Amino acid sequence: MADAVIEGIRERVTAAIRVNVSVGIQVPENRHADLLEAIFASMCKNTHDMWSFVTVSKSYDYLKKSYKEIEQYQNIRFIDCISRAAGITAKHHTCTYIESPGMLEFIVLELLNSFHGTKPDTEKFIVIDSLSALMIYNDPQIIREFITLLMNRARSENIHVISILVEEEMDSNKIIQMNDKIIVLRDSFID
Amino acid sequence: MEGGIPLGSTVLVTGCSGSGKTTLCMQFLFNGARKGERGVFFTITEPLFKLTKNLEGFGFYDKKLIESGMVNIIDLRIISERLGLDAEKYTVEDAGALLDILKDIADELDVKRLVMDSITALCYRLQTREMIRDFIFKLGTSLAVMNCTTMLTSEVPPQTFKFSQYEIEEFISDGIFFLGDVERRGDLIRTLQVIKMRGTPHSRTKFSMNISSQRGIELMPLLKSNEFESFLKR
Repeated sequence: MADAVIEGIRERVTAAIRVNVSVGIQVPENRHADLLEAIFASMCKNTHDMWSFVTVSKSYDYLKKSYKEIEQYQNIRFIDCISRAAGITAKHHTCTYIESPGMLEFIVLELLNSFHGTKPDTEKFIVIDSLSALMIYNDPQIIREFITLLMNRARSENIHVISILVEEEMDSNKIIQMNDKIIVLRDSFID
Repeated sequence: MEGGIPLGSTVLVTGCSGSGKTTLCMQFLFNGARKGERGVFFTITEPLFKLTKNLEGFGFYDKKLIESGMVNIIDLRIISERLGLDAEKYTVEDAGALLDILKDIADELDVKRLVMDSITALCYRLQTREMIRDFIFKLGTSLAVMNCTTMLTSEVPPQTFKFSQYEIEEFISDGIFFLGDVERRGDLIRTLQVIKMRGTPHSRTKFSMNISSQRGIELMPLLKSNEFESFLKR
């Protein structure tokens, strides 16, 4: 059952992101892990696509332990914004570490750098996990500005953006509205 | 900046300690050397071994460019010593002699890019404000005829919007790059702003500046939302 739900989420997100430049996903906290699993499954399945995953809620070390297969794929890059701020000094060749989740401009820089050298016909995707976690470290106004900057750069470079919003953090509700498409995942079924 | 720094310009790179002045200037020299433009870096603040050691971590650094003489790093204190000058205090004549030597070196090497790091430390060795003023104007005149693009670094105290220590340096410069920082919730973010650049249209917006070991200096427009608040706090 759990696998079917994850597969359902994966298909829904994949379909939405193929036709929209940006997709916001609103998810309850207790379904966050399922959503991540679905996204990682999508990343691993589409190896010809290039993915950059920005993690603000969980350290890359933790993600690696929880989703073992993700570090084997060359088409997935991670940008960890939380480890250094938490005093974790781990290093990994598939992950770039940002000093602090407040250094938003450097997140954009590293995202754009992560796609340097990709072939022109490669589909490029960014996942922000999550807007809610970014809101812990930044004011809402600057997050809006960050998302605007990111979306504009992404549009000009043909990069698709998936941003996750954990539902319990409703302060960031307005920010998710900036996406082309919004998917709301419910506790017990896919909306 | 449209088309970069105009050839033959003198740019004052100003900022506090740790703002990235030396790295920016070094990258300017190494990138130029890759394009076939020979460069020279005059230092008066850091010993050569320390400078090169700090550079080794950067992707733009290439030892071969130093060995081949495309990038030359010269310690002005050693030159002063060889000229028999007091390295701590310069007279008007000493400063003039030093300036002549700099010009001769630049001519002999046929450099297209020159960096002086820092003009503040050099002027610190001059005794009076008049001497400093006189030296800076002479330097400006010399640079104007040297046919090379120059970066002069200038040190200012942190959190000040001031371009130079002696407030004269900016008048001999065609351009001013101001390196500063903004504080955002306890994080210090480096910034770069082009205050002026004669001879080319340029943006005057403030950019956040990253110093990446692989890629050197990288810029991204600074997010503005918190800046006014941070200015008020200051």
